[in-house]
Amino acid sequence: MLLLNDTYRQQSNFAAYCRTGIYSPMTGVNEERLAHYPRLVFNVIDDTLRSAYPLTVDLLTEEEWDTTVRSFFATHKCSTYSVWKMPYEFYQFVLTLDNSLTEKYPFLEELLLFEWTEIEIHMMEDEQFPEVVSEGEMATDTPVLNPEYTILQLHYPVHLKNPNEIADTDKGEYFVLLFREQESGNVQFLDLSFYFVWLLRKMEHEQKSLFELAEEASDLFGVEQRFLLEKSLPFLTELRNKNFIIGYKK
Amino acid sequence: MSNVGIGFRKDFAEEFRNGSVLKPAFLEVAPENWMGIGGYWKKVFKSVAEQYDVYSHGLSLSLGGPDELDWDFLKKLKSFLKEYNIKIYSEHLSFAKCDNAHLYDLLPVPFRWDAVHHIAQRIKAVQDFLEQKIAVEIVSYYTPVAAEMSEVDFINAVVKEADCNLLLDVNNIYVNAFNHQYDAKQFLHHLNLDNVEYIHMAGHEKVAEDLIIDTHGEEIIEPVYELFDYTLGLLPKPIPVLLERDFNIPELAELQHELTRLENICSRYWRNTYATA
Repeated sequence: MLLLNDTYRQQSNFAAYCRTGIYSPMTGVNEERLAHYPRLVFNVIDDTLRSAYPLTVDLLTEEEWDTTVRSFFATHKCSTYSVWKMPYEFYQFVLTLDNSLTEKYPFLEELLLFEWTEIEIHMMEDEQFPEVVSEGEMATDTPVLNPEYTILQLHYPVHLKNPNEIADTDKGEYFVLLFREQESGNVQFLDLSFYFVWLLRKMEHEQKSLFELAEEASDLFGVEQRFLLEKSLPFLTELRNKNFIIGYKK
Repeated sequence: MSNVGIGFRKDFAEEFRNGSVLKPAFLEVAPENWMGIGGYWKKVFKSVAEQYDVYSHGLSLSLGGPDELDWDFLKKLKSFLKEYNIKIYSEHLSFAKCDNAHLYDLLPVPFRWDAVHHIAQRIKAVQDFLEQKIAVEIVSYYTPVAAEMSEVDFINAVVKEADCNLLLDVNNIYVNAFNHQYDAKQFLHHLNLDNVEYIHMAGHEKVAEDLIIDTHGEEIIEPVYELFDYTLGLLPKPIPVLLERDFNIPELAELQHELTRLENICSRYWRNTYATA
């Protein structure tokens, strides 16, 4: 590197001051004007995070939000060059916290994950959609799923309830499907039962029909196949209507 | 429009697909916001890239920074420039990353000879890798840091040693001249203008009697139009001109009014001769 140690030190002090507000000596600066930099830099971070996490912003007090964001920016070294991906690093940072905030809001990490996942699915690179036939029989043909999706497993219903109303008594097992509509690019999400998670995973990985899978599920869960078929058909039809099931295997 | 483009923003992306108010000559994007994405915004971007020439203006390369260049980013950038046939890639004469932490803003580099050599070497490495010249932008700054030479000498030295192009942000020159109490026209006369490839124009905000912050959130003020007019008289050839407006977006007709005004100034100097990238 052609940069002299002193020049590097000046830049390092400047950058650290922008991140932490802690001043270390720099040569020839106008300190009054220098003070604008931490404010301007922080505004970019804060604005980006507020846009990414509107539900979390609404949940936390202003002081809680501000303290957490300032702590994040001061102590975490943001590694992504795309500022829109930086909120994921904020989520990862909150995972490392062991403080009163996560005690007060035990579902905070999951709320952040849910909000980030919406962004991630919305922005993710395009997947190759398989060729399908659009007409088919839901029970006996093999449904093909939109490949641009994910399923989150949660302990709190951050996708179902206003975060301000989530209580300890809500703790349980929740699954949420998030997928990107092929045409509009909009992200939709849907609450799933454990059985439907199992069903969708099987459909994707084993490419079997509902009829075959209901038979397997009957053995596995000890529930009548007919009951599973009756329960599954409206659900899969809804997924077909929402274009999460994009068609049937050729 | 023949010479004047506008920064492409999601805020008014729909205008370029279905609207008829804005009529820029080209669009400029920050590659960091459009690389490696899919879905709705990729479709939008593809659609406008088919209709308009697209230039790119990077934010994260941190040419003036002490950290290693991000070669993974540069590889992706090269593919992106090729995929959309983007002829201009410009960056800032500043640093945005230090000690492995991105700051997502443009910090002033110490005006020093070791920084000149360091930055020039990095620019050359980037140019070699991208197989094209890049343009570096003169950034606005509010305080010098550890300066040992003048701003204009620093810029001239970097551009000469790196053999790169210059992006002349006329608003930044106005802002810096105001903030650091020098004559903007004299600055322009001392600046080597042979390699100017591109011009940026924008608005700013005066936050104190002696301080302007470069916000890109206001309309261009009269003295900056005047400086732009003066600058064109010094340039040897037509070059693309960009209107930047990053937030506080007004009615699109107001943006078009600014584009038209810039175009009218250009056409006084460059009648029947259009800028090419």
